[in-house]
Amino acid sequence: MQFHRFCLLTFSAAFGLTFPLPAQDSLRVSGSTTLNPVVSEAVEVLRNEKGLRITIDTAGGSTGGINALGDGRADVAMSSRSIQERDRDKFPSVKYHSVPIGQDAVSLVVSADVWNGGVKNLSGSQIRDLYEGRLKNWKEVGGPDRRVVFLNREPGRGEWEVFTKFLYPDRNKPPMTSHPMVGSNEETRNKTGGTRGAITFLSTPWADGKKVFALGLELPDGNVVEANGANIASGQYPMSRPLFVITDGEPAGAAATLIDYLLAEPGQQLVSKHGYLRLDEVQ
Amino acid sequence: MSERGAERFPIEKMRVNRHRWIFWSSMAGLLITLSALLATLLFLVWQATPIIRQSGAGFVFGRLWYYPEQMFGALAMIYGTAVVSLVALTLAVPVALGTAVLSAEYLDAGARLVVKSAVELLAGVPSVVYGLIGVLFLREWVYRGLAPFDPISGDSLFTAGLLLAVMILPTITTLCDDALRAVPASQRAAARSLGLTRAESVLHVALPQAAPGLLAAILLGLGRALGETVAVFLVVGRQDNQLPDKLFSWDALISPGQTLTSKLGGPETHLAYGDPLHWAAMAGLAVLLLVMTALCLAAAKGIEKLTKSRAARVAGQS
Repeated sequence: MQFHRFCLLTFSAAFGLTFPLPAQDSLRVSGSTTLNPVVSEAVEVLRNEKGLRITIDTAGGSTGGINALGDGRADVAMSSRSIQERDRDKFPSVKYHSVPIGQDAVSLVVSADVWNGGVKNLSGSQIRDLYEGRLKNWKEVGGPDRRVVFLNREPGRGEWEVFTKFLYPDRNKPPMTSHPMVGSNEETRNKTGGTRGAITFLSTPWADGKKVFALGLELPDGNVVEANGANIASGQYPMSRPLFVITDGEPAGAAATLIDYLLAEPGQQLVSKHGYLRLDEVQ
Repeated sequence: MSERGAERFPIEKMRVNRHRWIFWSSMAGLLITLSALLATLLFLVWQATPIIRQSGAGFVFGRLWYYPEQMFGALAMIYGTAVVSLVALTLAVPVALGTAVLSAEYLDAGARLVVKSAVELLAGVPSVVYGLIGVLFLREWVYRGLAPFDPISGDSLFTAGLLLAVMILPTITTLCDDALRAVPASQRAAARSLGLTRAESVLHVALPQAAPGLLAAILLGLGRALGETVAVFLVVGRQDNQLPDKLFSWDALISPGQTLTSKLGGPETHLAYGDPLHWAAMAGLAVLLLVMTALCLAAAKGIEKLTKSRAARVAGQS
């Protein structure tokens, strides 16, 4: 009988281990790979200094983070796009509270052979023709005789939202295209750099000028603007976006600690360190 | 001691009762396993109901997938999965068969152990490691090696198939080896005593007798290939709606594509939350994948069973 009971105990103990542990009071952060380096470093500091428990992931990009927040699977969303009507439609009960912590720009970037072949800037309509597959060879825009390989970003990535909003300001759905797809900023940079004739769009600080090269943007008035600090700050460069951390309702507890840190001087230094514009640099 | 015997001897009854937990705990294990399988299947089918109700067979045979316009057709992904798996099998099966014949028919017990351990070690490498090797080297090699054919990039159905071939190689090898070892040694001895050379006995005795087992091994390898996600995701290119006009086209093979698993492993799973039809379509892809894998495994098990009953018949005759 004692043996019987012992077995029962071991059994229930073994199976008990496989049940999910009770929810811990850790803060769950999810979203954009663009904000990830900044927030990750802030999280690291808060872990060490204040012993906060914070988990962070970037599986679904900005939209993935916002969905996770709406769905209750995350407490803070990192987003490189603002909250839109469709987010409110999807989760009507959520009170999105967005706090900008910096500003970033999206650049068209090309591989070395295209850049060295003479393509240094593109106009909006040229970009649209490239994206929709009407321009198939780089020589049509003054580049080398080389097929265009447009690498699309995964939908839901903040860059994709900014890019399609720039190309199609009047349409809420961009047209269907079929391109190979790349995800995170790292993957985008590596695969674009390693593919002849490649073009994609990428968060500007990631355009390193070694693997991939940022193109200037030719505005309708004929002026060419580069995605540099001054042009982003003055609003002249159109494909620019604020970087947000978003909570459901006013941030409280650990979320408030994290956001306060990001807004204070050390946090803003992190924003600047990773190549984005600090809040006080923007207008 | 039978149960009836236990009634006559109280002490024996106590022994039977005391150890009854062994039966019940293993029964609990069985029930948990079965209900996990059943729950997964039912949950996925239940989640996929909206898309089945809306599109029916159009979901499976639809050629276009573009979620902002609520277009959900899985055919290009089924095609991608099939092509990638076929490439993997075509490349892996000859190598696996060669290794298995050598280790089962030619090597002595010690050397065979070394080969078999090495192969099984290969099977234990996590798939993300293969994926990283694929991203770092394989796509670059493929891009350079196929340069005369002018591929779009290093990411292609072919690259994914090549990577998968390495991943399913150990599974197929070790199962083929088992199938060959299952052919009784007396058969080989008889063949040799009739004057057949070793090569002839391999070709005319061992291989034909092991054929069903070898086929089962290949099908189990295929089952693994169908479900592989991470490694494929990293090198397949993830381009939607890549469906060539011909069933087999060289251009499509060296172009980027999308498989069921690379779609499921991608960001759309995160985007689909809160959009019932999109979510249902993603669940539908999972159902398709499960069905394809289940068919492979069932075929493998069926062949295995057939062989066993035939072997029993042969044994009965002799």
